[in-house]
Amino acid sequence: MSLFFKSPIDIEILLDGEESRKHVEIANSSNNPTARTLKDRYPVYEDGESVSGIVTLRVKEGKKLEHLGVKVSLIGSVDITKSTSEGKKRPVETFLTLSADLCPHGELVHSQNFPFNFKDVEKRYEAYRGKNVDVTYYVKVTVFRKSTDIVKHKRFWCLLYHPDPTPPTVANPSDERKPVKLDIGIENCLHIEFEYSKSQFSLKDVIVGRIYFLLTRLKVKHMELSVITRETCGMEPVQLLDSTSIRYEIMDGSPVKGETIPIRLFLGGYDLTPSSTFNFFNIKNYLSLVIIDEDGRRYFKQSEITLYRKRN
Amino acid sequence: MSYAETIDQAIANCKQQTVLMQRCLTQEKLMDALKHTSIMLTELRNPHLSPKQYYELYILIYDSLSILSTYFVECHTKRHHLADLYELVQYAGNIVPRLYLMITVGSSYLQSADAPREEIFKDMIEMCKGVQNPIRGLFLRYYLSQRTKQFFQADDVEAKKANANFIITNFIEMNKLWVRLQHQGPLREREQRTRERKELKILIGANVVRLSQIVESDFTMYKEEILPQILEQVVQCRDVVSQEYLLDVICQVFPDEFHLGTLAELLATSLKLNPTVPINKVVLTLVERLNGFIDRQENSDSDDLAQKLAAFSIAGENQNLFFVFWKFLNQLSDERPDLSLQELAPVIQGVLKLTLRWYPQNISNVDVLLKFMYEKCQEYGKSIPEEYDYLFNDLLLPQEFKSEPAFFCKILTKCESYEKLLSAQNISLQKHCTNEILDTLTQAEWQISSKLELEKLLSLCGALIEPGVDKPSSPLMLEEEDGLDSDNWSLTPDQEKLAKLTHLCYNKSIDEHSELLLTCRNWYQKSGRNVRYLFPAIICNLWKLIRRCQWKIKRKPERREKLNNTTKQLFKHVSRTINDLYSACGGGCFDLLYKLNLQTAALADQSELGDIAYDFFSQAFTIFEESLSDSRTQFQAIVSMAQTLQKTRNLHVESYYDTLITRCTLHGSKLLKKQDQCRAVYTCSHLWWATEISLLGEEEGVTESFYREGKRVLECLQRSLRVADSIMDNIQSCELMVEILNRCCYYFIHGDENSTHVGVKYINGLIELIKTNLDALKLEISSVSEEHRGSNSDEDRTLIGIDGCYIHQSTLNSVAAVYSKPPSSKTANLESVPIEHFQRTLRYIQDQKDVDSRFKAIVLL
Repeated sequence: MSLFFKSPIDIEILLDGEESRKHVEIANSSNNPTARTLKDRYPVYEDGESVSGIVTLRVKEGKKLEHLGVKVSLIGSVDITKSTSEGKKRPVETFLTLSADLCPHGELVHSQNFPFNFKDVEKRYEAYRGKNVDVTYYVKVTVFRKSTDIVKHKRFWCLLYHPDPTPPTVANPSDERKPVKLDIGIENCLHIEFEYSKSQFSLKDVIVGRIYFLLTRLKVKHMELSVITRETCGMEPVQLLDSTSIRYEIMDGSPVKGETIPIRLFLGGYDLTPSSTFNFFNIKNYLSLVIIDEDGRRYFKQSEITLYRKRN
Repeated sequence: MSYAETIDQAIANCKQQTVLMQRCLTQEKLMDALKHTSIMLTELRNPHLSPKQYYELYILIYDSLSILSTYFVECHTKRHHLADLYELVQYAGNIVPRLYLMITVGSSYLQSADAPREEIFKDMIEMCKGVQNPIRGLFLRYYLSQRTKQFFQADDVEAKKANANFIITNFIEMNKLWVRLQHQGPLREREQRTRERKELKILIGANVVRLSQIVESDFTMYKEEILPQILEQVVQCRDVVSQEYLLDVICQVFPDEFHLGTLAELLATSLKLNPTVPINKVVLTLVERLNGFIDRQENSDSDDLAQKLAAFSIAGENQNLFFVFWKFLNQLSDERPDLSLQELAPVIQGVLKLTLRWYPQNISNVDVLLKFMYEKCQEYGKSIPEEYDYLFNDLLLPQEFKSEPAFFCKILTKCESYEKLLSAQNISLQKHCTNEILDTLTQAEWQISSKLELEKLLSLCGALIEPGVDKPSSPLMLEEEDGLDSDNWSLTPDQEKLAKLTHLCYNKSIDEHSELLLTCRNWYQKSGRNVRYLFPAIICNLWKLIRRCQWKIKRKPERREKLNNTTKQLFKHVSRTINDLYSACGGGCFDLLYKLNLQTAALADQSELGDIAYDFFSQAFTIFEESLSDSRTQFQAIVSMAQTLQKTRNLHVESYYDTLITRCTLHGSKLLKKQDQCRAVYTCSHLWWATEISLLGEEEGVTESFYREGKRVLECLQRSLRVADSIMDNIQSCELMVEILNRCCYYFIHGDENSTHVGVKYINGLIELIKTNLDALKLEISSVSEEHRGSNSDEDRTLIGIDGCYIHQSTLNSVAAVYSKPPSSKTANLESVPIEHFQRTLRYIQDQKDVDSRFKAIVLL
């Protein structure tokens, strides 16, 4: 459309202190392979932070624009692809809508700035961009007209930091310290015991643990620890999407009975998504221990871990 | 990231990445440098490399990691903090590159003063557990130990302990990996695995070496902390290669003083080893070390060492060194009854070496050891196979024994078990050992002076003395055999050595010395026919003794009576010995017996014991008459007899001399062959013409008492001439006549014509006779074709010897051959022999004319 009808007005949204604000770089989710390597940069806001800025409406030289009003709104929404065939994500729920009128109907003859300010906006969810699901926040400026409205979006990113020291979803703080112990095996073939120091990790945390080989008749080639992020969305059918965020070799060669292999995995250097739940989808993280034997068979055991973002 | 397929590619890749890394470092792009390093390190993940190739690669990578490490240290806190880097490298996805990087960073970090030492150490060694592949793990841990070794210089005890613990932990893990390597891969490649493991052993050994550097001279720490841990690991791993190697390393690496102090522990450990580990190796290494300790102790300043010993408070235990080993041996035999002699013997040998070195004069130790071995032999039951011989050989004849004959002799005589052990061996080994023993003693010229000693030695030599079993049992057969090999005097070195033993006997007292000899004789008697090799030596020594008696009589005339008795006694021994020899091997050695008798007779005569001399002479005659049947031997016997008799001086009582010489001449004239008769008789003529023996103070012309009877001399000459004349063979006859002419010249020169009756007239007559005979011979020659003679004359020559043998001298070489029969083909040549001989004799007479005017009367032409 814009090819035929050149928009008569430029809308620019400038957030306060945008240049100095922290930015995140998020991989482009587009399916276009060339674009995938590109990254989008977004300014970062936190929960409860005010979002303020200036909207500049620039009218083309010598033109004027009649409008029915200008509105700025702050929107948070969940977008989901309905099916795998469909490339585009559609909003299924808008969980946050804040609006403000910038000016009443009238005529714009020259460029004009409109400051706006949404005070202490509660942002319930982290921004997220996944394969099938997005959680997006944006500032939307709408210039109402008799004909089509002119709309401009400005996306920003939202990170949720959980207040120290209690991580989310844990009522009892002592649970966090409790190590995770698992005892698994294949009868007469393999019997291992593994232990992680805890099940809840902040994104800058270190996973520390050990694996104790009680019985091993496998010819193990190597052993890996991986973190798998699972995105589940949709009601029926459930769309599952696993993506391996970390693959980390922790053992080379075949151990003998009684051997203890240490685990230490720094999470800080990886790009991880905190675990979260939403009406329409959830994101879970799993720690997966994979043993690969000399014939290339893989044996694995996954256990869920909670990842959360913590202020440094 | 993946590794290259071949080692060459891998090396090329490493080199390239090293260059890239260095370039990045100069541009201060640390992250890129790390990336290149990590690509390089990926090569170390290759599972297809042999240990050698892996090592090659490792060395290359070690060097380039050193470059990186230097950079880390130099730029620490300027451009980065190593603590951050330490975390950063943790993100490497693969464990092997990650750990190499981590150790590189960690060790660089340790160089800065503020580094949390303990944590880094602990973390590094803990994380290394992630590599469970034997080869990769071994090299990684070796890398760890190489990188950290510079940080182990600690002064206080606690730090030292911590360092030692670090190394021990690493060592234990490495050893486990090393052992595990054995069980990798298919079963049929086991041997290859073992080979590969042996190539890698140095990696493990390096840890022990490092420990020894740390522990320095802290014995308490070694004994209480380090050694128990190492030994426990050694025992637990239950792996042959590992146990063998590690114990060896422990023995080699730590100071001798430590081993002295921990001997019991080390030995106890060796008991707990895998049964297939050769214990003897361990013991031998230990013994070598301990002996080396003594050597060094002797070389270096003794005070210094005494101090050292005191410092270790080992000196007390020092005395019990043998006891410790002895206890160990007992335990060994209790706990490991399966141990074969083959393994046990070297152990005992080792301990033997030790005791010889530490307690050089302690015989009871040796005795105990040998007894132990003997008991083991007994337990073994069945006869010990021959391939074990070398074991016992080494045990019975260690180098240490041979080099110290005095001690050796002591062992031989005082140590009962030595004999027992020796006798438990098979005959051939026994013989060999006895030979060696005798050699040693002979070479050292050891004097055996007590009977006890001698008896002991002789009983040791039992194997040599006892006659071989192959002797037929039937006495009838025996006789026959005696006859057959009567001339079979094959050389037997064994017997020769035994005989030499007699020469070693010596005692100042003549009585005791003779007792020694008699003991020898009694023992030798057991050897049956072999006495013929042994008794002559005894007799010879008895002769020496008699001489000694004579000498003593001269020096101490006051004891003459007693010594004379002794001498007589000795002669009786000789006689007895000769008789024994006769009865033991009769036919084999009549000639020998005859000569022994003669010799003894001569000696008796010189000792002024006419009766005894006569007795021996008569013995000789008896043998001659009864047993010497070969005509040549008979002739020789007569000549020897004549020689001996001619020199006697003390036989004139009861006309012994007369009887004997008459008999001798009679026998001579009764010889079978005429030429022998002739020669014997003219030789016997000298018996009536005694000549001076200057040793007895006689002098021609001065001494009046010479026994001379010219008439008998002439008779003899006449008789021989008659015999010569009656010989049919002209050549022989002429030759003999010329010989008689020579005799005549002798008497002519030495005697007055009146007393000898050999005068000018007689000689002239003889010359005339020979001439006539020679003319007849020449006639014979001329009948032979001239050409034939001429062709032969310059080739070979044949001469006739003084005893009638034919000496054939070849022109081709300088060696002359002697025949008893005339060479048949050369008959033609023989004619010249008497002719030439005659010419020579005539020339002699001609020459004598210038000196002696009497000769002028002899007509030559």
